[in-house]
Amino acid sequence: MEAPETKPRLLIVASGGGHWVQMGRLRPAFEGFDTAYVSVHQDYADELPGRRYYTVADMTRFNFQKIFVLAPQLIRILLIERPKVVITTGAAPGLVAIALAKILLGAKTIWIDSIANCERMSSSGMQARRFADQWLTQWPELSGADGPKYWGAVL
Amino acid sequence: MIFVTIGSLLPFDRLVRVMDDLAPSFPQEQFFAQIAEGKYEPRNMPFARMLSRREFAEKIDQAKLIVAHAGMGSVISAMQQKKPIVILPRKYEQGEHTTDHQMATARWLHAKPGVYVAMEDADLRTTIDAVLAAPSAAAIPPTAPSEFIDKLRAYISDL
Repeated sequence: MEAPETKPRLLIVASGGGHWVQMGRLRPAFEGFDTAYVSVHQDYADELPGRRYYTVADMTRFNFQKIFVLAPQLIRILLIERPKVVITTGAAPGLVAIALAKILLGAKTIWIDSIANCERMSSSGMQARRFADQWLTQWPELSGADGPKYWGAVL
Repeated sequence: MIFVTIGSLLPFDRLVRVMDDLAPSFPQEQFFAQIAEGKYEPRNMPFARMLSRREFAEKIDQAKLIVAHAGMGSVISAMQQKKPIVILPRKYEQGEHTTDHQMATARWLHAKPGVYVAMEDADLRTTIDAVLAAPSAAAIPPTAPSEFIDKLRAYISDL
């Protein structure tokens, strides 16, 4: 353990490209916690020297059948890491991760919808509502009492 | 060097083809393209299917201008490395993305310093010419505003 037992262990999940880059801008929020990362390209590990990093299948709505690879990968990671908090900037792998983390571990979960979704929540973001303890948009206009919360944006 | 990138997920042959056609008309510029899974292979510029994160950062660093889809990975990477970026949004109706959100993204990014929007292919040439004539880039810090960081951190810490 890199951090004291009292600090919650975090699992950060982000797809490739913009999802990963947006998560990178939030990294100071996780400093000092025992944090592991999950994404879809092996070379992303180079950005996180000394951190635990896992690669999973890049499931999108075009290749839904990959869930049969992705779900066992995520279950294994969740059982190894046993995170107290799972945080994701999407997309589909993040949705599956917070759903499994909630069901298997009762973990606290945070969904941060991509800043690209300025007119409506993403489709995985809509589904994430059921599994997210904190359901966040990066656009104040989209937030509301019955909708997602706004805590800020990566830009 | 002008770095053309269409991200890593979906093909965007329309942008690759337009830039490949335009490249010879910039004899003084070198080009490099990341084309992902596209069917169209450029003839007038070197390209890679997918660069590693390190290579991608190096290409942005070497470039005087980025030309990209309206994807946040490309846009934020350019802004963080203080390079001007011209974006052409993908269109849902042409099968270039799952929704039309890049059109909306392009509309709000229009107001950001260093981000130049071409809504249609035909606008790319004039937009690129304008940026090359008077390049200006955003200067953003490498991390999100502290308001957001602090709220996330406070929530996690209290668990």
